[in-house]
Amino acid sequence: MHVLDLDYMLGLLPILLGYLPLTLEMAGAGMLAALVLACLLAVVRVQRTPGLNALAMLFISFFRGTPLLVQLFLFYYGLPQILTFLVAINGITATILGLTLHFSAYMAESIRAAIVGVDRSQTEAALSIGMTQGQLMRRIVLPQATRVATPTLMNYFIDMIKATSLAFTLGVTELMGATQKEAASSFLYFEAFLLAAIIYWVVVEILSWLQRRLEKRLNRAYQR
Amino acid sequence: MSLRHFMQYALAGLALSATALTAHADTLRVGMSGGYYPFTFVEQDVLKGFEVDVMNAVGEQTGDDIEFVTASFSGLAGMLDSGRIDTIANQITITPERKAKYAFTEPYVYDGAQVVVRKGNDAIEGVEDLKGKTVAVNLGSNYEQLLRELPYADDIDIKTYESNIEQDVALGRADAFVMDRVSATQVIKDKPLPLALAGQPFSRIENALPFRDDEAGHALRDRINKALDVLREDGTLKQISEKWFGTDITTP
Repeated sequence: MHVLDLDYMLGLLPILLGYLPLTLEMAGAGMLAALVLACLLAVVRVQRTPGLNALAMLFISFFRGTPLLVQLFLFYYGLPQILTFLVAINGITATILGLTLHFSAYMAESIRAAIVGVDRSQTEAALSIGMTQGQLMRRIVLPQATRVATPTLMNYFIDMIKATSLAFTLGVTELMGATQKEAASSFLYFEAFLLAAIIYWVVVEILSWLQRRLEKRLNRAYQR
Repeated sequence: MSLRHFMQYALAGLALSATALTAHADTLRVGMSGGYYPFTFVEQDVLKGFEVDVMNAVGEQTGDDIEFVTASFSGLAGMLDSGRIDTIANQITITPERKAKYAFTEPYVYDGAQVVVRKGNDAIEGVEDLKGKTVAVNLGSNYEQLLRELPYADDIDIKTYESNIEQDVALGRADAFVMDRVSATQVIKDKPLPLALAGQPFSRIENALPFRDDEAGHALRDRINKALDVLREDGTLKQISEKWFGTDITTP
């Protein structure tokens, strides 16, 4: 009869926590870069910039239409066979790049939806009192779009944190990779993976709490 | 951060990694899974095992710094092909296909393929009993190929795994798994899983270090070969083997 080995879990906790910063760094860097890229893509899509719009659509179609693991393998192992200088990109950078490209495709669509969702009459009103396009975006559209997009963007960030667990296939030992290796030598799979699950869960719970506070703040103008 | 700044950082990063690559002349980057007890495994955050000791001994001989890179097993060949590591120390068996693609050192492990079942499973007493059974093997390992070469391969349900084949047999999801005899014996002896060896090893396997099949790879291979010769002669390999397996698996 297998009894939960608490001593083993307690011993493993500080070791696994040591890999948490790398997990969060990869997700954090990926999120920042993906936000920038997604905003650019969304603006191109909303304004239907000739030429660029078609490119953006192709980009989104590809990165939304293929699994992240396939993309990571394609770019990390496949592409350097053709473009040899790409070998210089290490596993951590490749993971961040992969997360950025993959998630920006999703995020672009939710940002686009949030921008389009701002009522057209407000655009007309702003333009009628002489605001420039830039002022219109900064003062009227983006503040409202931000509020609408925040919950879905946080969702993607949470998903991204968990997606970093694929990095071990690129030789990056992050939280999941460390857990797999420890479990493969102790054979205490339940303890090791339960602990990893709890760590991911707690991190996501903390983020969800921050999200609720952020949303409350963004909603202030709408409370009466 | 402006886009220009970002590009500057990105370029600086690329340049740095490029110099790091060329500086690898006397650093031997060794890939391993870190998940194949007792050849390469991580315990309390420390990478250990037979392969780690062998490669460190090789490094002492050649004067190279040994840098271990752990990645999941199925990613290792890609890392070797794309030049991210120089060799793989993960009980790599020499097969005709791999021999055509890589430059191998002389074998430093002699072993056999072994069928392992859940304790108490008397229905399987060897490889000939696998007909109609579900058998687990590691993805990309040569054991999958060994099974496919059997005359009754079509009647075996071969399941490939990224890791944890021992656990799936212990749980009863697969009827048996196939791995090398020495690891299997050691796992059964040291670890709390209800497993048992089924019959005798059914195929001889020889493990060696693969290098890229180009000029630099051949030069490196020859250098490591010499070091392995010395370690075989002076008894270091035997000593490392006895430390991990209680027996010498480094000679035929």
